[in-house]
Amino acid sequence: MKLLRTALTATLLLGTTAHAQNTDISGSLVLYTSQPNEDAQSTVDAFMAAYPNVEVDWVRDGTTEIMARLEAEFLAGAPQPDVLLIADIVTMEGLEAQGRLLSYPEADTSAYDPAIMDPEGYYFSTKLITTGIVYNTAAPFEPTSWQDLLRPEAQGQIAMPSPLTSGAATIHMVSLTGSPDLGWAYYEALAEQGANPQGGNGGVYRAVAGGEQMFGMVVDFLPIREIANGAPVRFVFPDEGVSAVTEPVAILSTARNVPAAQAFVDFLISPEGQQLAADMGYLPAHPAIAAPEGFPARDQIRLLDFDAAQALTDADANRLRFIDIFGQ
Amino acid sequence: MPTACGSSTSSVSKLTGTLRHLRSGEGLTLVALCLFALVLFVMPLWHLARIGLTDGAEFSLAPVLALFESGSVPRALRNSLESAALSSLLSLLLGTTLALIIGLTDIRGKAIITFLVMIPMMVPPHVTAIAWVQAMGPSSPILNTIGLAPPPGSPHPLYGRGGVIALLAVQNMPLVFLVVLAALRSLPRDLSDAARSAGAGPWRLLRRIILPLLLPTLMAAYVLAFVSALGNFGIPALLGIPGRYVTLPVLIYQRLSAFGPSMLADVAVLASVLATLAVIIVAAQMALLGRTRNALIGPPQTPLHLTLGRTRPVVEAAIALLIAVILILPVTALFGTALVITYGLPLTSETMTLANFRHILFEQSVTARAFANSTLTAGLAALVIAGACVLLARILSGPRGVSRGIGRGIAFAAEITYAIPGLVISIAFILTFIRPIPLLDVSIYNTLGIIFIAYLCAFFAVALKPISAAYMQLDPALDEAAKVAGAGYWRRLWRITLPLLAPAAASGAILVFLIAYNEITVSALLWSTGTETIGTTIYNYESSGSTTLAAAMSAVTVVATIGLLLALDIMGRWLPRGVVPWRL
Repeated sequence: MKLLRTALTATLLLGTTAHAQNTDISGSLVLYTSQPNEDAQSTVDAFMAAYPNVEVDWVRDGTTEIMARLEAEFLAGAPQPDVLLIADIVTMEGLEAQGRLLSYPEADTSAYDPAIMDPEGYYFSTKLITTGIVYNTAAPFEPTSWQDLLRPEAQGQIAMPSPLTSGAATIHMVSLTGSPDLGWAYYEALAEQGANPQGGNGGVYRAVAGGEQMFGMVVDFLPIREIANGAPVRFVFPDEGVSAVTEPVAILSTARNVPAAQAFVDFLISPEGQQLAADMGYLPAHPAIAAPEGFPARDQIRLLDFDAAQALTDADANRLRFIDIFGQ
Repeated sequence: MPTACGSSTSSVSKLTGTLRHLRSGEGLTLVALCLFALVLFVMPLWHLARIGLTDGAEFSLAPVLALFESGSVPRALRNSLESAALSSLLSLLLGTTLALIIGLTDIRGKAIITFLVMIPMMVPPHVTAIAWVQAMGPSSPILNTIGLAPPPGSPHPLYGRGGVIALLAVQNMPLVFLVVLAALRSLPRDLSDAARSAGAGPWRLLRRIILPLLLPTLMAAYVLAFVSALGNFGIPALLGIPGRYVTLPVLIYQRLSAFGPSMLADVAVLASVLATLAVIIVAAQMALLGRTRNALIGPPQTPLHLTLGRTRPVVEAAIALLIAVILILPVTALFGTALVITYGLPLTSETMTLANFRHILFEQSVTARAFANSTLTAGLAALVIAGACVLLARILSGPRGVSRGIGRGIAFAAEITYAIPGLVISIAFILTFIRPIPLLDVSIYNTLGIIFIAYLCAFFAVALKPISAAYMQLDPALDEAAKVAGAGYWRRLWRITLPLLAPAAASGAILVFLIAYNEITVSALLWSTGTETIGTTIYNYESSGSTTLAAAMSAVTVVATIGLLLALDIMGRWLPRGVVPWRL
């Protein structure tokens, strides 16, 4: 049986991939991820093709659900996963501060922007999921900047995710309010415009695509993927710059199979792993890998500054200020 | 006679009686039910209370008080109470009226109406909410055709208080309908026949005979709808948040998404607020029930057949309109979304595609697995719960004493676990069952087993309500007579209790099955690869942005559920009358 499986894997690999196989690392690896189902499946398949002796058990769920599950497992003293591929670097900073992560300083991050990698090697960004403006094709004008959302025609027409629900929305708020061009005054003006932060990114996309609201702040891949299918929306990367969540990968301090977990990290930040992210329709974190169709060239996208450790320190203050402005 | 020691004497000759009592059928039942409740209700609740009501290691109310200092908790509490109270009142009015028409009159098409009215309950609440948002919004396929759609960009009519209450009412109406219909089945004919031969007209009959007899059932149905609305997450999440109408379960979810070690404690405290509300409501119902008990004798019978005469077409038209609004509008919107290439496009011959259905049916192995998993766990849970509820209801309606006290305690615990939102239940189950079970050394974490027992915990109260309400209508004289005639506990259970309770037990089991079959929140944190449920699969599509795939999966679920009900319908031919609710 085992022979048969090895033979089968070998044939499959001969047929599909050219990259080197590593057979030194083996055992089972438990992965918790918030990637969409199909993407999680292809990530795992590609990793198992490169490391045929590692068996990956994975759980995919929304960020909130998977973090709640993990928190309960911590409390019960039995965290299950070896490796996380989840959410954003603020969440990872929080886990690092609780001593839940294992550092892997030997990982090769030389090609990457140091701003999105942890200097001590506790977590590694795998892609750039930016937040820009989505608008319905029936909208009264085509916005090109964040300031455009303050035009009178956009009054009462703006959907945005709530930082109380979405990690990406929190990072977006911190990035925009930290930008000298915009600041907290911009969020106050959005509240004046009747913007109503609600739920997560899925809800914002649905509201704009369904024509309930004409404009929305949303993560890039949702509209870009659906525009290819003819969805009645457009997506813009505003002039002032975009915020990004980076879906970092990290090894838990309680990991049972550290070599396999490290191999998983290596795989994701390798050029092959980054090409895989691009093939799935995400902006790769690696600057040398070309952006997928529907995105502007990598050097055309301007990222707003963001300091994850500072954002974690200010989390409560930011949350309160948001509640204060939007009265939630 | 093995059961000479009834629970009434146990308080008197306790010491000598206890051993004998424990060996008797009744005692064994009580012990088994206690064990069941201890493992499934008490232990998970205790784990929650431990993290919510302690400060360090000591018991403390400080976390609760701290939470009430922020304005959002009292506001959410008010919204929860308001939406649950008003929506269940609407459910009660609508569901009871329908049940009376179906159960008592000569209206045509009873089976098909009953069948259709049950469908809204089979669709997961958040899918219902999405379907309604679409059906009433600017891109509504139906409203656009008749020129009534709101202009693009105008505020959605369903967002906020009104929408939440209306949709909760529609979602829970079938619960009331089924419970009242089952009670009408076990309503004996003698009284109404006597009233009619004494010259009472239909209205007088309704007011003076039927409604008073139904009172315990109506209260039970109201409380069931109330507690169900209280714990509902999908509807207030999708309609309440954009309308700034946040209820407690939504607030709990928002707290969950604030990561960090204090998050679980906050959530546990909020859940205990919900649990307390449920306890108060149920205690009030039990106190009222004690005063309104009507004992009757008789097996389920052919229902009354009041002639509607000239008003019959009017009543039928009204029901058809109701079904069109609560069923056809959202289900059409659901299929509309499932058939379109991408969400937001109008459905035309160019944008229509079967790709979404093809994808979920043939390209994703998870679909078939989810259907198998949900059918198995929900079916098994429905059977186990209905069986346990028949035993518990017997104890609950017994004479005052230790047994009934314990039985009430179990019923309370079940009510609490029903009111607590599913997500919180799943956290409690992770805390309780993540480690291997002591003595057995088996771990059920990440298996279907943990989802199954979480269903037992979360949905026990759903079946207990109709079954114990039906039991309240039975005259204890029947059981007493059999006992005097020498029938043992199991024999009386089998020959007297079960036949009389079969319709209520069956509708209880069907309710549990339908609710568990489509639930999302209980299994949300308990599923893993291989143990996906229908609800989590739909939720996963939805939360990763694939609205069209989620709609296709929901549409398939509706069709599959109808298929299951049809299978039940065929089986119903060999079952006693009244067991399958729509077979009249």
